[in-house]
Amino acid sequence: MIELFHIWKQYQKPYWALSDVTLQINDGDFYFVTGPSGSGKSTLLKTIFREILPTEGQILINGVNILKIHDNRIYTLRRTMGIVFQDFRLMFHRSVFNNVAVPLQVIGVGRKEIRRRVFATLQKVNLHQKMWELPAHLSYGEQQRVAIARAVVNNPEIILADEPTGNLDPELAFEIITLFKDINKQGATVIIGSHDRELIRHFGDNILFLQKGKIVGKEAHP
Amino acid sequence: MIEKLKFFLSVTGNNLWQFRTRNIFSVTIICLSFLTVGIFMSLSNNLRATARELSSNMSIAFYLEEGLSENAIDQIRHEISLTSFVENVKLVTPSEALERFRASFPELADIVAGLKGNPFPSSFELRVNAKAVASTEVVAFVEGMKKRPGVTDVMFNQDWVEKMQGFSRLAGAIGAFLGGILILTSFFIISNVVKLNVFARKNEIEILRLVGGTNMFIRIPFWLEGITLGILGSLLSLALLFVVISVFPVYIGAQLGALQQLLRFRYPDLTQAVFLLSGGAATGFIGSATSVSKFLKV
Repeated sequence: MIELFHIWKQYQKPYWALSDVTLQINDGDFYFVTGPSGSGKSTLLKTIFREILPTEGQILINGVNILKIHDNRIYTLRRTMGIVFQDFRLMFHRSVFNNVAVPLQVIGVGRKEIRRRVFATLQKVNLHQKMWELPAHLSYGEQQRVAIARAVVNNPEIILADEPTGNLDPELAFEIITLFKDINKQGATVIIGSHDRELIRHFGDNILFLQKGKIVGKEAHP
Repeated sequence: MIEKLKFFLSVTGNNLWQFRTRNIFSVTIICLSFLTVGIFMSLSNNLRATARELSSNMSIAFYLEEGLSENAIDQIRHEISLTSFVENVKLVTPSEALERFRASFPELADIVAGLKGNPFPSSFELRVNAKAVASTEVVAFVEGMKKRPGVTDVMFNQDWVEKMQGFSRLAGAIGAFLGGILILTSFFIISNVVKLNVFARKNEIEILRLVGGTNMFIRIPFWLEGITLGILGSLLSLALLFVVISVFPVYIGAQLGALQQLLRFRYPDLTQAVFLLSGGAATGFIGSATSVSKFLKV
């Protein structure tokens, strides 16, 4: 369970990127966080995986206050999550395979198992034929799929995706969200930041509306 | 564990290859630094060995007055044999001395043939106990004999032993000083090369952190990189040192004449070779570790 209590975040005075956000996301939930640009979607996701610290508030994940985790132990939190960044954050001098394998390598999975799981994941995002190419040789949409494959390859408990379909054509965007849905059905909590209304309307079980850092609405369609 | 090690080695190998130009540069600098240390170490080895040889062959020669009676010669021999540090005494007659000269300097045979008489005096040659070489007792005895009637001159090579030992210490000190400066230079160069590598891979480091990589997981490839550069540099310096030692007497040694003996290089022994290699590894490790810690704050 992810619990946010009165989260405030300020990058620069006098603007608040997040204003008093209180939220509870249960295990296995599928959430869309939506709102206009600058509404705080990315900031909210970044505070959950502790890329940034909130100015005020508490965040509990499975009862653990993640703001109290020492920097040296932050990897214990990150290993339970799969993250798709808005800017992909790929390693451009490493092949697609090696980019996707990284979350498995950091936890010491054996080579054969890595090969098996990376290949299976790349098949799901339809990139298995470009496994040994460098990301720089791929299209924008393909790079995004590499980032998604990296986020889901180790079957994380929580998946956070910031605009994961931003550069994909509608058909592929649909497939990608279907992929997130499948992973969600296997028990993972999925939170997606997006402003693609079509997708949200089609897939949104839970929708959180943000505006100027505040939660301005919630919808649940179980 | 083995899987992780394989992973680290493959990442290190990839990184070394990816930034090969600047890595070759740092290996060259480390190599030159350790080559300097090695050359002075080898020179110092030779001087120390020469001093040791001289000490073990320490001899004193007393040249006697011409026409000294047999009684007077026996008296001097008796005085010499009373000392505790003399291992053996030998009387060298003028004809024996001439023979030795002929054998030692065959190129001067014409001059010897043209001599009307024998210019060499009789002498006593003493072999001194190696432990007593530098003792004040020996020096006092030699000084006393110089003033003794019947003795015209004394040849004592203790000065040379002391000079050799002094030169050896000097060569060692110069080596340590120059080598120290150069090793410090390589240390900073490695440190900066690793910093550049860290800069170039900042994005990758960030990603590793975000997907759950531990600080150690991020640091280890950089450490391995520094150690590899250090070992490669010192290994290369050791190989070059062997080349220098083999080539030096052939191309330059002959031009040095009498100095050749002193400036001869000796191969480093196993301990010194291990010292150079581990020094390289340590330089590489410290250079990269400080750079990664300070620069990355991981």
